[in-house]
Amino acid sequence: MSDVSQTVGIEQTPQTPLPAGYPHTKGAQAENLKFAFWLYLASEVVIFATMIATFIVFRFNNPEVVKQVHEAANILLVTANTFLLLTSSWAMVMGLRAIQRNDQSGFIKWFSFMAVLGTIFVLLQYVEYQELAHLGIAIYNQGNQFDGFGMRFYAPTAFHGVHVIVGVLWGLWIINNARKGAYSSSNYAGVEAFGLYWHFVDVVWVILFTFLYLV
Amino acid sequence: MDAQHTPEKSITPTYKDEQGHFHGDTTTLFGRTINMNVYTVVFLALGLFTIIEVLLFELPRGFLTIPLMLGLALVKAGLVVYFYMHLNKDSRLFAVALLVPTVMVALATLFLLIVPSGY
Repeated sequence: MSDVSQTVGIEQTPQTPLPAGYPHTKGAQAENLKFAFWLYLASEVVIFATMIATFIVFRFNNPEVVKQVHEAANILLVTANTFLLLTSSWAMVMGLRAIQRNDQSGFIKWFSFMAVLGTIFVLLQYVEYQELAHLGIAIYNQGNQFDGFGMRFYAPTAFHGVHVIVGVLWGLWIINNARKGAYSSSNYAGVEAFGLYWHFVDVVWVILFTFLYLV
Repeated sequence: MDAQHTPEKSITPTYKDEQGHFHGDTTTLFGRTINMNVYTVVFLALGLFTIIEVLLFELPRGFLTIPLMLGLALVKAGLVVYFYMHLNKDSRLFAVALLVPTVMVALATLFLLIVPSGY
């Protein structure tokens, strides 16, 4: 077979050895992927934290409005949702543990469990939004007792909900890859990157649950 | 050691020894060994703290209620980050990447709280 580069006239560059410390090993690439992912999560921290800060300032200046919402809200439903997300995070890390042991079927089962829990979370969040809407808590509540609350509440929770939806889709994609044998005990960097994302979504909910629903 | 095995060693709380036995199926807590892996122990702790938070919410509020709930939330978030996101094993640089924006926004929030409400 002839060299294509010679045929089309592309100048060939000689192969030069990579410099020392260059991330050419699989291990170094995995570490770099993780660091890149942490930097991405740092940018997410800024977005979520800004929205939470906006709510805190509102809560500080309008304690009575928040108190009324807390009394009207279905805390049992939100607590159930919190447990769903905590359990999904546990399922995620148990799945990672399974693939680290080269347990392919265990990995797929744990990840499927995680995806189901994430889906139920989103469905229950929809139910919660419906209940809040019936109570009169909308994005804009000019003139009623919930004035100013809606946007500060829906923005972070909906933004978080979108992260859960993306996480479920990403999880399903990983399950699909796993069924084709894409991961093993020596190749799971992609799974771990997804794990960072999913746990971050869990951490954000832990904070949102306390700041928005309880305090 | 083979470079390919380096990240496994650093991120894996469970590992296989030369005899093929897995380690990490037990957790030592306050000097006692529990026959559960650390992830399950953390999960149970997260559930327990959540129940305590909700109970605090339902009970009449005292001056310690809100600080306790905030403290529990931070402990829960810390447990997930430290154990589930493997900051206990990984580079401290990852923790810095998380802490810098968190501290910045926390300071900005405190600063905003001294601004008078405009309406």
